[in-house]
Amino acid sequence: MSFLDNSGDIILDVVLTDHGRKEMSKGDGSFQITKFALGDEEINYSLYNKTHPSGSSYYDLEILQTPILEAFTDNAASMKTQLQTYDNLELLFLPVMRLNQREDANSMASNGTFYCAVNEATEDNGGSDATTTGVARASDGKARTGFMFGESLMGTLIRVDQGLDTTQISPLRALPDELKETSYTITMDNRLGMLVDSTGALASYDYLDDDNIAYYTVDLGDSYVKNITNNTTSPSQVIQGPRGTTMAFRIQSSMDTQTSSYLFTVLGSTETLTNRTAGGAGSSIVYYIDSIIRVTGVKTGSIIDIPVRYVRLQ
Amino acid sequence: MTFKPLQANDVVSTRTLLHEAIPLTGTIVSGTYNDENIKNYSHGMFQSVYDYPYLSSSANHIFDLTVGYSTDSALYTATATANGQKAKKKNIYNQMCQVLMGYDATGSILKFDEDGDIIGGGRKMNEVIIMPFSRLLVKDEIKKESFSMTLGVSGSYWDKGKLGKRDPFANAKIKIMDVSASSEYRVNSPVGEYGILYATASVAGANGQQLETNATCVHTASIGGFTYWYAGLLFYQAGIAVLTASLFQENATATTNPGALLKTLAGGPGEHFRFISGSKSGGAGLFKNVNEALTGSAISASCEAFRHRIANVQFNNTTELNSTVYFCRANHNEFNYSSNPTYLSGSKIRVKSQASDDPVAYITTVGLYNDNNELMATAKLSEPLKKSPSTEFTIRTRLDY
Repeated sequence: MSFLDNSGDIILDVVLTDHGRKEMSKGDGSFQITKFALGDEEINYSLYNKTHPSGSSYYDLEILQTPILEAFTDNAASMKTQLQTYDNLELLFLPVMRLNQREDANSMASNGTFYCAVNEATEDNGGSDATTTGVARASDGKARTGFMFGESLMGTLIRVDQGLDTTQISPLRALPDELKETSYTITMDNRLGMLVDSTGALASYDYLDDDNIAYYTVDLGDSYVKNITNNTTSPSQVIQGPRGTTMAFRIQSSMDTQTSSYLFTVLGSTETLTNRTAGGAGSSIVYYIDSIIRVTGVKTGSIIDIPVRYVRLQ
Repeated sequence: MTFKPLQANDVVSTRTLLHEAIPLTGTIVSGTYNDENIKNYSHGMFQSVYDYPYLSSSANHIFDLTVGYSTDSALYTATATANGQKAKKKNIYNQMCQVLMGYDATGSILKFDEDGDIIGGGRKMNEVIIMPFSRLLVKDEIKKESFSMTLGVSGSYWDKGKLGKRDPFANAKIKIMDVSASSEYRVNSPVGEYGILYATASVAGANGQQLETNATCVHTASIGGFTYWYAGLLFYQAGIAVLTASLFQENATATTNPGALLKTLAGGPGEHFRFISGSKSGGAGLFKNVNEALTGSAISASCEAFRHRIANVQFNNTTELNSTVYFCRANHNEFNYSSNPTYLSGSKIRVKSQASDDPVAYITTVGLYNDNNELMATAKLSEPLKKSPSTEFTIRTRLDY
């Protein structure tokens, strides 16, 4: 008889993330490891072939051949997608998050990004009649679609809905508790902007990592997260099946972006946008920085990356 | 996001000693790079040896060399007061004694003792060659009983440009080792443990035995039935070898050069041992012996001469690795789904055809978090690991400090 395969003993060398090293360097005991999670960010599940002619052993052949990268030390770049535990092993559908852009007030600009005008001059020149170089309002005085007012905290509200986005289950059916998201983590570059709710109230971040990425958590019951009570097939709903919660926020531009073009010249570029000159005939050159805001469901782990372009009049 | 708390029995701390073999080939320190890997300083108190020309960013510092003598040494007395390096040799000796041997009860600096028995007195090493190894090589410490150094003790000295004619290794080599040190070492040093370095009988050559066997002059020890000559001390944690300059002295008699380790005419039939080139002090000749080098030449000259007699040095270093192992246990009913966006088509799970199918997910990464869900560390698998309700895994992740 041959030897049994004993290669199943899995020992992995751990790499500290840059944030972990920062915590460790504090020497105040804040570096503690108390829990773990499992990730699968390299896996493309669309390679799972349930119709493979050679049978079920071959369904995941391509997935198992996926080459795995060495560990990233950037904490924000690792563990982006995680394995989940649900008590029910017979789930066929899992919840997703979708940007709800069914209304203009929640929509991106036509080029597929949300804009954040970082100061009053970029917004609408403080309402001046003499100067019309601002780009966040149209010539008729209305806020342009997709533009957030980073200083005066008005304009577009980014809205994310959560639930089972399928036509195979009626929205009348309630979403099981274990699939209903009640908390969200919002991750954004703190050099560029901060999280505010629909009333303009500033949120406090949970922590700021070594790369200036701020982590906010918002919960059901606060001013950011609400239950979706509409269980009809209303066109205002982006989730087609059972619905969970909706979360909405705006961005307040940072002091750095409001007062200086430094970050724009380092991290960004320029573009020309239509300004609020009467008749829509005028345009302004603006600095811009493209960034991503990531929303992650704390319970379900589902994620959505939202593109945001910070703009500032040149 | 599914985080699983680590319980008390999921975390264990371990300590492992890692050893690396460090071979230093003599040619690197004595010729390969035409001495461009040797750095001398304007203060002249020591010489640094690199493994590559030191002006290159690829160069690594491997060890330093210096020499010194005690004020009790006859060579100190014999050195002219006007010799600018006299004080430096004395200062080096005292500094190294102060650091490596410490002080006696009166606060006086203890001298290097050839057998480490300070209270018992015995012979002190008043003239020494000191070889501090780089932390890069030593790591946490030199492994006991792993050190060996082969030195050429031919009568021919190295002479730049005439290497072919004057070979310090020709027919005569001795080996310096910390014999039996894993079971016998000293702990009466302020810098940790040290062992005794012994010279062994010559590597056989035309001249045969090179080490002095006059028992009235030379101190030897018998270990395992073999005779070894006291040659120096090796400080394991400090990573410093201290060799007696007597290694290069010959002609031991009760009154002349007592303690010299090389036998008379070690340089070959009719030839005395030559250490460095140059006019012999007080007489004719084109060489100096080790006494004359220490009294009449700079520290760097002695370092040069010694360096060109190194055939090789070898030891094992030790790295003390403190590890925390986290046992990440994924039970059969855990981690069977994924939040990977490709896991779903719409909201439907791709890996299932019907609800009763087993869910499947693939592990590639383990993330370790603190209480605030901040990612502290990650570990990667070499290939995706299939997880389903019919499998369980315990993944041992090890964080080394």
